[in-house]
Amino acid sequence: MDAYANFINGTITLFSDPMGILIFFGGVVGGMLFGAIPGVSMLTLAAILLPFTAHLSAEHGIMLFSVIYCTGVYGGAITAILFNIPGAPENAPTAFDGYPMTKNGEAGRAVGAAVMCSAIGGTVAAVIMMLATAPIANWAISAFGPPEIFALVFFGLAVAATVGAKTLWKGWLSILVGLLIAVVGMDPVGGIERYDFNMPYLLAGIHFIPTILGFFAVSEIFIQAEKKATGSFKAPKISVDFPSVAELLAHKVAVIRSIVIGFFCGVLPGIGATLAAFMGYNEAVRWSKDKSQFGKGKLEGVISSETANNAATGAAMIPLLALGLPGGALTAMMVGVFQMHDMEPGPLVFLNSPDLVWVVFSAMFFANLSILLVGYLETKTIINLLRIPFQFLAPLILLLATVGAYAVRGLVIDVLVMFIAGAAGFFLRRSGYSLAGIVLGLILGKIGEQTFAQAMQMLHFEWLGFLDRPVASVLIAAAFLTILSSIYSAFFKKHTQ
Amino acid sequence: MGKLRPVHFVEAAFWLLLSAFLYIESFDFDRSIEIYKFGATAWPRTLILLMALAALGQLLFQYYAGDRPTGSLGAATDDGAQEAARKAGHSSVSWYASTFLLLAIPFLYMRAPDFVGLLTTLDKQGVHLVKGVTAPILFVVYLVFMRGNHVGAILALPIFFAALLEDMGFYAMAPLFIIGVTLLMGERRLQWIALTIALIMGVLLLMFVSLLYVGLPTGNLSPFYEFSNQLIILLQ
Repeated sequence: MDAYANFINGTITLFSDPMGILIFFGGVVGGMLFGAIPGVSMLTLAAILLPFTAHLSAEHGIMLFSVIYCTGVYGGAITAILFNIPGAPENAPTAFDGYPMTKNGEAGRAVGAAVMCSAIGGTVAAVIMMLATAPIANWAISAFGPPEIFALVFFGLAVAATVGAKTLWKGWLSILVGLLIAVVGMDPVGGIERYDFNMPYLLAGIHFIPTILGFFAVSEIFIQAEKKATGSFKAPKISVDFPSVAELLAHKVAVIRSIVIGFFCGVLPGIGATLAAFMGYNEAVRWSKDKSQFGKGKLEGVISSETANNAATGAAMIPLLALGLPGGALTAMMVGVFQMHDMEPGPLVFLNSPDLVWVVFSAMFFANLSILLVGYLETKTIINLLRIPFQFLAPLILLLATVGAYAVRGLVIDVLVMFIAGAAGFFLRRSGYSLAGIVLGLILGKIGEQTFAQAMQMLHFEWLGFLDRPVASVLIAAAFLTILSSIYSAFFKKHTQ
Repeated sequence: MGKLRPVHFVEAAFWLLLSAFLYIESFDFDRSIEIYKFGATAWPRTLILLMALAALGQLLFQYYAGDRPTGSLGAATDDGAQEAARKAGHSSVSWYASTFLLLAIPFLYMRAPDFVGLLTTLDKQGVHLVKGVTAPILFVVYLVFMRGNHVGAILALPIFFAALLEDMGFYAMAPLFIIGVTLLMGERRLQWIALTIALIMGVLLLMFVSLLYVGLPTGNLSPFYEFSNQLIILLQ
């Protein structure tokens, strides 16, 4: 009952504060809007807002990002369905059947199914998250020392390398670039300057905010500019006809299966929602009596993918809040929000800031519920927003990013770093590298090196000491298994693509 | 040669050269730490080694499989960027050469006082004069090169804008930047461009300067500095 009382308290705190209400609805609308506008994504919005969260309280900052996460994952389905442009990798399977449905003149049914299933998947996962995160955090305090955290970072990066990039190798190269960017500046043990090239700016390391803004917001504009050169923007004709209750009930097994799959995949640091959406879709195909209709506009494909990826949003908060490890690009930015308020996500957040945790949980619950209502209304308005030509949207996004990067430290060089990262992101993306992998490497790099150094000191520089610790040894074994199986799969497994 | 293409060798060479460069640079901080026997280099050198191995792994994989993605999750990242580049013919050596030339222009602007400084001693006013003269010259160079490479020009424009911010400030440069981006994106209707400038500048200045008191770069060259300050006084 503790969880119930905390949830009620969190809800009262959230909705009794006018600023909190404003930020909540801003996040709901913003996440859906940016998720649903082709060319930008929830990550673009999050990257732009990241520097400004310094002006908000930690509670409001984290809550804003968690709300954007829930609604943005849903919003990305709209572009996947209408334009075959997934807002994020986790929306990719939605496009497999969603876009054919649009071509068949059933865009309304597909978007309607995405609205309902995102809300159901996300809300159920939010409830499980509320019940499970605190016990996991309590266990983590006693079970997780530096060796375990390093092992979990290693496992998370090993899994993340298998998704997000075009090939396994490009996944690893992306992560290694991020880890090497994190090396710039002082080393975490002896304070020795590394790769500073005698530039005072680099002594403090490369700031993650301009880097994230560049990789996500700016590179997206560049990619869209190139797509515009090939002429790809089309104004869609859509309407929102929700699928009937009977139709949804007919797919109840797919919904429940996807919630379970989504939640368990979401807990894994590094991949979360992407794996969830793919597995949700794959299982729907596997269990279907009429497999031939998948890929041609089958409603069950959209339902399975969208339920699973929103179910993963709640689960992704568990490694973030219980262990301090981000599960993807957006949760990695949430670590940035914590850091800007001199806080570290992890088990101690439950002890030191229980109010923050429960306001965030309540906000995520209501954000998922609000997808039903706001999603319906917003999808109608998005029809008009889609008419804003990209040439007018692009300078606004670039200048917002400029202000965002500059506002962090008042340094013009941060703006320069952001645009250079944007150009680098442009070349890396068009070559099949993963920008989310680079950002994960950048964020986890410092934690990884620091915990590795602490672990080695704790274990008296005995490598085998890791094996004496059950949690660490299981995680390291799982990481090596993941690496070996992904290499085997890359070389020897038959691919249909 | 298997399924290898020249671009695969270029890609592998890039990662291997980057690894070699970072490894050589790591000798700059190859010092011992009393409480940590691995020192400051163990972590980055391990990452560098892994980077070189991943680059070789990628080359080996491309030998057998070409550009095939590894599994359906790899395909998830196909956001059309590669397809757009291929359609637009933006994969040729000449396209890359002209793009990197355009990208070099902002850096030439930033280093111009250093180059002139090799010939004569420059005081603060001299630096400002060099920058004031170099900016329009390089802008003309930019205009000449952008004609054959639209996307390269879009990549270089924000970096040029960032390079000019320190000297000429946000307030004077942002409207010009909006004009540049909208023109490069294909907009030719002057009234629409003017409306875009008014709306974007109005929203940004009201939200950040008037309401949030965010101090944006004012520049340090005359008359840009004076213009920025007058505008700030007006807004706040």
